[in-house]
Amino acid sequence: MVMSGTVRRPPLAVVLVAIVMVALGETAGAAMSRLRPEIQRYAAARVAANAAAHGFSGSAEYDDEVRDRAIFTAEAGLSFFHLHAEGVGLVLFFASTLVAATVPWRRARAALYLVLTLGGLFPLGYLVYGAAVLEIGRDAGIEMAERWFLTPLGVSAIVGLLGLLLVAARRRA
Amino acid sequence: MTEAESAAWRVPPRWALLVAVLSIVTAEVGGASMARFKVELTRWARDAMLARPAVHGLVGVRDVDERILDEALVKFDAGLRLFHMHAEGMGLVIIATTMVAATVVRAGAVRRTIIALLTTGGAGYPVGYLVWSILIPSYGLERAKTIAEWLVWIPFGSATILALWWLAGLIALRLIRR
Repeated sequence: MVMSGTVRRPPLAVVLVAIVMVALGETAGAAMSRLRPEIQRYAAARVAANAAAHGFSGSAEYDDEVRDRAIFTAEAGLSFFHLHAEGVGLVLFFASTLVAATVPWRRARAALYLVLTLGGLFPLGYLVYGAAVLEIGRDAGIEMAERWFLTPLGVSAIVGLLGLLLVAARRRA
Repeated sequence: MTEAESAAWRVPPRWALLVAVLSIVTAEVGGASMARFKVELTRWARDAMLARPAVHGLVGVRDVDERILDEALVKFDAGLRLFHMHAEGMGLVIIATTMVAATVVRAGAVRRTIIALLTTGGAGYPVGYLVWSILIPSYGLERAKTIAEWLVWIPFGSATILALWWLAGLIALRLIRR
């Protein structure tokens, strides 16, 4: 059956989060490209300021390796942020539009908007990842970002998408 | 505008959708061509670089030259891959963001400007990776990057970033005023 007509849109707050996420992703990509030396210098300065957290030993060779790994990881965080912010912003946009268009129950719609929007904030976890690596050390920073940001926000996105899938399947049945 | 209409998406202009779909199609063709003609593309780039030894700093010593050529070929390949990836992504970004602009922005001139910036910026930016890649054999890594940056990445990327933040600001304003 071919269906036509208007497609409902999600609330403006959800749309705003999606657009801001894409805009942040674009801006981060531009910053990574144009300000790479400045970002590396800043990262090196933060590592030096938090020498104890990075386990510096006083041996130049060892410390240089630790510093390089921390800077590389922080840059990777920024790169992951760029990639995920663009993708997750679009996922939030299209998934929330599907919720608006296909979920008939108001409370279910509100719940799905909430978990999808929280999931839409997932890429911010990579900004935390990059910053935390510099401030509290590589392993502790990654562990902190994964435990408190990436995992809960990622789970929220998965729950929202599974919820949408279930509602769509139930309506079809 | 009725309540039902205000809660519905409005379709962006047809030209914007066409540009977005064209961007996705070229990305798909680019990806397929990269896979199908990988050997031919690498051979062309390598021959073009060997024809311009001074540009690439080739010294005639095989060990040294091979390392330089390998690095340039990796960047040449990376440029093609980044074009493929960005053109697909930006095609979708154009569709989503112009739909938001068509729906949310009320002032006609502002709406048209934002849609034009989002569409041209989004479709033009990925072409920079293609330009970079194609110029590497003739101009060398750094010069090719500088040309792509100033001709494509900076103008088109800035257009997209400006339009996205402008759009985000207008949505935020509408939310605050409600």
